[in-house]
Amino acid sequence: MRVGFVGLGAMGRPMALHLLRAGHSLALWARRPEAAAPLIAAGAVQCASAADVARRSEVVFTIVTGSADVEHVALDAGGLGEGFAAGSILVDMSTIAPETARSLARRLSRQGVEMLDAPVSGGEQGAIAATLAIMVGGKAAVLERVLPLLECLGKTIVHVGDNGAGQVAKACNQMVMVGAIQAVAEALHFAAAAGADPASVRRALAGGSACSRVLEVMGGRMVDRDFSAGVEARLHHKDYGVVLAEAYRLGVPVPVAAAVGQQLNALMARGWGHSDTASLLRVLESVASAACER
Amino acid sequence: MKIGFIGLGIMGRPMALNLLQGGHQVSVWARRPESMQPLLDAGAAGAASPAALAEAADIVISMVADAPDVEQVMLGEQGVANSPRAGLVAVDMSTIRPAAARDIAARLHARGIDFLDAPVSGGEVGAIAGTLSIMVGGSAAAFDSARPALACMGKNIVHVGDSGAGQVAKAANQIVTGVGVLTVAEALNFAARSGVDPARVREALLGGFAYSKILENHGQRMLDRNFKPGFKSWMHQKDMNIVMQSAHELGLCLPVSAATAQMYNAMVGSGLGEEDSIAILKLLERLSGGES
Repeated sequence: MRVGFVGLGAMGRPMALHLLRAGHSLALWARRPEAAAPLIAAGAVQCASAADVARRSEVVFTIVTGSADVEHVALDAGGLGEGFAAGSILVDMSTIAPETARSLARRLSRQGVEMLDAPVSGGEQGAIAATLAIMVGGKAAVLERVLPLLECLGKTIVHVGDNGAGQVAKACNQMVMVGAIQAVAEALHFAAAAGADPASVRRALAGGSACSRVLEVMGGRMVDRDFSAGVEARLHHKDYGVVLAEAYRLGVPVPVAAAVGQQLNALMARGWGHSDTASLLRVLESVASAACER
Repeated sequence: MKIGFIGLGIMGRPMALNLLQGGHQVSVWARRPESMQPLLDAGAAGAASPAALAEAADIVISMVADAPDVEQVMLGEQGVANSPRAGLVAVDMSTIRPAAARDIAARLHARGIDFLDAPVSGGEVGAIAGTLSIMVGGSAAAFDSARPALACMGKNIVHVGDSGAGQVAKAANQIVTGVGVLTVAEALNFAARSGVDPARVREALLGGFAYSKILENHGQRMLDRNFKPGFKSWMHQKDMNIVMQSAHELGLCLPVSAATAQMYNAMVGSGLGEEDSIAILKLLERLSGGES
């Protein structure tokens, strides 16, 4: 299939490579051309604009940072919208506001272009191993057409519902996951303060009902005090902006997410946005030691 | 002074009337023409658009719902910035995000219009009595030119700082009042569920360090179970959202405001949005298995 790809960051690069290796022809555009170099070497075609990518492709994938970036790539001059032929498909795998995904789908449908929101969970490791969880919003028939492509990228592919439903699922994913990171950080911080070895506490918990992927991975990082990203905390902070704005729009109370959002704000203020979200532990420690710093 | 006034809702109508009574020449515009009628009856002139107001006025004042509305009336197609009189000062008294106020100020400034953000506190009662608190951000020169007009609408008029500073002060005001209403409701519900008369508890607290205007006024209305607005919960929900959005942008940790914002979300989601913000008491009662 003729496939296009925009957004060659930590996630996008390995994903694009999987599509290429599966035998699809791949057209690329990147804001920074050097990001595309390894893929060009592997046989992808570099385009001069996002519009060019759309012209050459039946299906275009985007995985960029936020709502504004997706709108920029899709709708601006030289954007995908200019190059799409009727019948082509945009699969946006970025994490953005459900409302933005819906309005973008509506606007593209006016020119006969189909859109799926298909955000992912699993991080850079999942992208490299092609084991991502993919949460899809949009028409079932459209998903059916791109399913062979998504199967190159992920293991768990769930059609959640109409346009926007994939982003709703991703927002829920972030609430559960980052909430769990905060809970693990509090537990390990509590353990240390109470005079128990956090590493042993984590090992003990891993065998019982508190066992979780977050306890294993992020808990491990906390114990090792390895705060190099995994997933950069600034991205979770951005996602919490989406969650809390949506809760506001709907009039839905999310008391724990709101509290976790404040810890993420504090994390950003400490300058840890580019480190792993396991740094929520360091936020707790900095509160405990605030009296000493004065 | 020639004053143009945009937005004649619960707050805007009495504010414009007070400007008329202060002897100013007032022209008005509102999205719904019928809301202009009481002002026309009182001697104001009607205008066809915000642009038409700005052609003839020394000062244009807006009092609308939210940032997109302010942008529309100031910078939209038929907006104030279209054909302003030289030296025009635009004053927005709505409550919007500080960042949005700064952005609008910069865009108006580029077109030669001085802008003040001047949100108010004091509610409908203060608007009618002309006793609003007015928190102003913008240049000192613009503040001086607008001051005689502001003095017709409010008592405590403070020039807080540069553009956006008025909205920052208002957001801080909403933190204190939004959280304050919730704490008074929690305290009175705590008293009632502990089997103690909340009216007596309020009376006792009024004499000590827990005294506040909110305990006095909102507390009394809670005891009376008078949930008529006042200040509607959905507006407080909107204002808490401004606070939380700004905190997100700045990397600020506001744990108590965040918890409070969620209670206002729950109020709007459970159909209490049109009631006064003291209806937060009903929500606490539901959560605690009490009345309503």
